[in-house]
Amino acid sequence: MHAVRNLRLCTKDCLCLFVCPTGATDTETGQIDFAKCIDGCRLCVDACPSHAISLILETYPEPKVKESTIQKALNILLESKVSQEQLCSSVASNSEKATKALATALARSTRILAEDCARESAFMLPQSESVRQFLAELVDKPYGEDFPYDAVKRLLELL
Amino acid sequence: MTSLSSHSPGALAAICSNLAKACEKQYRTEEFQLFNTLEQYFSKHMEQSVGKHLDELTGLIQVDLNETFVTCEQLASEQGDRGTLRALTWGKKVTSIHKSLLTRYAKQGEKLLDNGDLYICEACGFIAISSETPAMCPICKAPASRFSKVQ
Repeated sequence: MHAVRNLRLCTKDCLCLFVCPTGATDTETGQIDFAKCIDGCRLCVDACPSHAISLILETYPEPKVKESTIQKALNILLESKVSQEQLCSSVASNSEKATKALATALARSTRILAEDCARESAFMLPQSESVRQFLAELVDKPYGEDFPYDAVKRLLELL
Repeated sequence: MTSLSSHSPGALAAICSNLAKACEKQYRTEEFQLFNTLEQYFSKHMEQSVGKHLDELTGLIQVDLNETFVTCEQLASEQGDRGTLRALTWGKKVTSIHKSLLTRYAKQGEKLLDNGDLYICEACGFIAISSETPAMCPICKAPASRFSKVQ
């Protein structure tokens, strides 16, 4: 486990700088240097008065694959939300003022609901078997020339 | 295991944007960008909707509220799937908000936003019409910082 800094919460109290035994918290990027960070040390986590630092797992336990019945039901909801998002996006691009704003808000909100369905059905953890299988299937699909196959291959290396 | 053949391009886009968010929260910057690249491809290739008017949305929402959410909730409940039940509880509330916004829009039309702007909770999808950023999301209790103004 190594430490990460949430820059939205960091208020530059800088207590992490003097409690860190290795200087891992002192970087130009604002992020903690993973190479120097001591596994599970957490001195900076406890010292930070703005709760901006937390520990992150290197490896997660493999999530349990959900029953196919619930996966199917969530996929039906996912597709329903996606078709609503498409309708809203289409209205947004063909209208203006209040109608455009409302359609845009509905499209974004509906996407969040669709993402929740995706997360709960099988795609919670990027480094899980179901996501690797998903990516492996994408590599084998005959999409057009503009499909970013390199991005999928790189993700399979990283995850 | 779900198979890709059953997913539309729009669903693949949502799967990828969900995974991009998950990577961002784990500070996996490169993976975040790669999933966003995939999301953009699938969003670009989403089927063009034939819908022209927002009132067509009301019927679809009613099916979700009457049937689709109910089926999911029953199955999640039987299987003791707490995560799914939580997502469905909030998702159903947000969907009801969509319905009431559409009812208001049907009555007020272009005057809907005369006295406020649209704000969206990035955590749960709740939409408010307000003259200022909401202090807290009434559905998921996220703070003001999680709200974005819709331009």
